[in-house]
Order: sequence, then C-alpha cells, then structure tokens
Amino acid sequence: MNLSHFADFCEKAVKDGVLFYYKGEFSQNVVATMSDTLKQRLDAVGVSGPARRKLFSTFIEMSQNIMHYADVDAGNGSKTGALAVGKNGDAKYWIVAGNPVRVEHVERIKQKVEPLRSMTIDEIKAAYREQLRNDEHEKDSISRGAGLGFLTVAREASAPLEYQIVFRSDEQEFADFYLRASI
Amino acid sequence: MENLYIPATNETPEINFNFSEHKLHMSGESYPENAMAFYAPVRASLHNYLSNTQPHGEVEAHFSLKYFNSSSTKLIRSLIALMHDSAQAGKRIVTHWYHDPDDDMMSEFGNDLKDEFRMLDIRVVATEPA
Repeated sequence: MNLSHFADFCEKAVKDGVLFYYKGEFSQNVVATMSDTLKQRLDAVGVSGPARRKLFSTFIEMSQNIMHYADVDAGNGSKTGALAVGKNGDAKYWIVAGNPVRVEHVERIKQKVEPLRSMTIDEIKAAYREQLRNDEHEKDSISRGAGLGFLTVAREASAPLEYQIVFRSDEQEFADFYLRASI
Repeated sequence: MENLYIPATNETPEINFNFSEHKLHMSGESYPENAMAFYAPVRASLHNYLSNTQPHGEVEAHFSLKYFNSSSTKLIRSLIALMHDSAQAGKRIVTHWYHDPDDDMMSEFGNDLKDEFRMLDIRVVATEPA
C-alpha cells in the first residue's frame, strides 16, 4: 500500500466512524490483546455503562465465533477473520465481523441467524432462556459452545442483526460470512 | 476439606470457595475461550463440598459478576443448579446475585435464576460498581 492509498484508507475509516479494525488470525492471544485494546479505546472515547458492556459482549461473541468456526483450510491452517467496531453519526455503535466458512455450512448459519431477524426482543429473550435450559445441545457435534452466541448478540443489539454470505468467484469450497450488530 | 481459591485473570473470575466457613464467592468477568476447561474443576470441587458436608448446614453464596460470555453462561447456571439440588435435599443456601444497577441483562439473569431455583433463596442485589 503506498502512502496515498493509506491516506484514503484512513479517511474512509474516519468517515465510517471506525474506532477499531483488525483482520488476520484469531488466536486466543490475539483476542485477549484485542479485548484489552478495545476496552482502552472505549474508555478513551467515553463509552460507559450498559453500552460499553453490550459492545464488549458483542465483540467477545463475534471474536469467539471466528475462533471456533472460521474454517482453517480457508486460512492456511489458522482461524482468520476480520472485525471492526465503530460509531454512526446518530451515536449508535456497530460491530461487524466476517470469516470464511465451508459452503456446506452456509444453510446451517442462515437457519440460525435468519429467524432472529424477525423476532421481537421479548421473543429473543424467551428463546435465550429456552436455549439456556436446553440440555440436548451437547449432542450438537458442530457447535462449540452453549448455542447461545447468536442469541446473545441479538439480545444486545438495538436492531435486527444483518448478515451476508459472499460466495467466491474463484472457488466453490468456501464462502465468507459477515455479521453486523447495531448497539 | 480444602478451600478453593483461584485468582482472577482478565478473562476468568476470582473463585473464593471458603468451604471451612461455608462461604462461596465468585466475582469478576468470565469470557475464556474454553469455558469448560475453567469451570469443570470448579464444579467438581463444589460438588465434592456439597456432597460431603452436613446435609442441613447453612451456606452463603455470593455472585458478583460484571460480565460473562455465552459459553460461560450455561456453566455458571450449572453451578447454581448444583447448589439447588443440595438445597432441595435440605441444605440452607442463601445466594446473593449482585449486579450493576444499570445492567438490565445481569439483573434479568439473576431474576430468572431466582424464578427457576426457588429453593436457593436468591437475593438479587443492585450495587454500584466498586
């Protein structure tokens, strides 16, 4: 990247209200370091109280999602993804994340996220409670957690989650899954 | 039996289970990548304590958590469920669930626990963060 490209890149990031951006490997150490950095960034711009907890919670869920589900074969042996946190002109915060997934997992992801988009906050809370008490979840061999990740993000968000699946033109094995939460 | 003390880290809460005084404290934040690895020994130790003490003794539990991630959620609930089993068998367990007054999520979580685990005498307490 030459300097004028970098200047454009910085200008675009400022215009979009980006407070934090990372792309690359998501390892335990990287996420731990990012967590500390993000906390300091939020303190520096004066985010406090529930908004801070909601942002941090969403950041952790999205990062751990990448750590658990980003396809290693798509990342040359490591879990890779991208994540950004920012603030809109209307003072709402947003978090976006993306990672490669296997094409055959796309339907499963859609089935998990799509229903949340049309649920009210009370319905989301009810689904969260139900999943919290669901002891059958351990039998799900693909899930790496409690099955509460997307529900937690949906619960923290102030608007329906947005997602996008981007299929690649050069190969059919992987697609890129992007998720956006507005806090 | 031996008390269990685990100091807090950035990603895991402080566990201070003073079994000899029947006081159980858990405080801080919980978002380890592998929550099971952290909570399995905590749960085992609690289970061991609850099944090896007088069935009608009194226990005080204090949960003062600022934040936990989704994979810690079920495991924290399972510690409470374990105490509830013991309370149903006759032990008196008074449980305090502290939360930041502005934190709806934490207060709702505490109130849900209170509704679900009625034998535990859960008190949901709003406190200013330290």
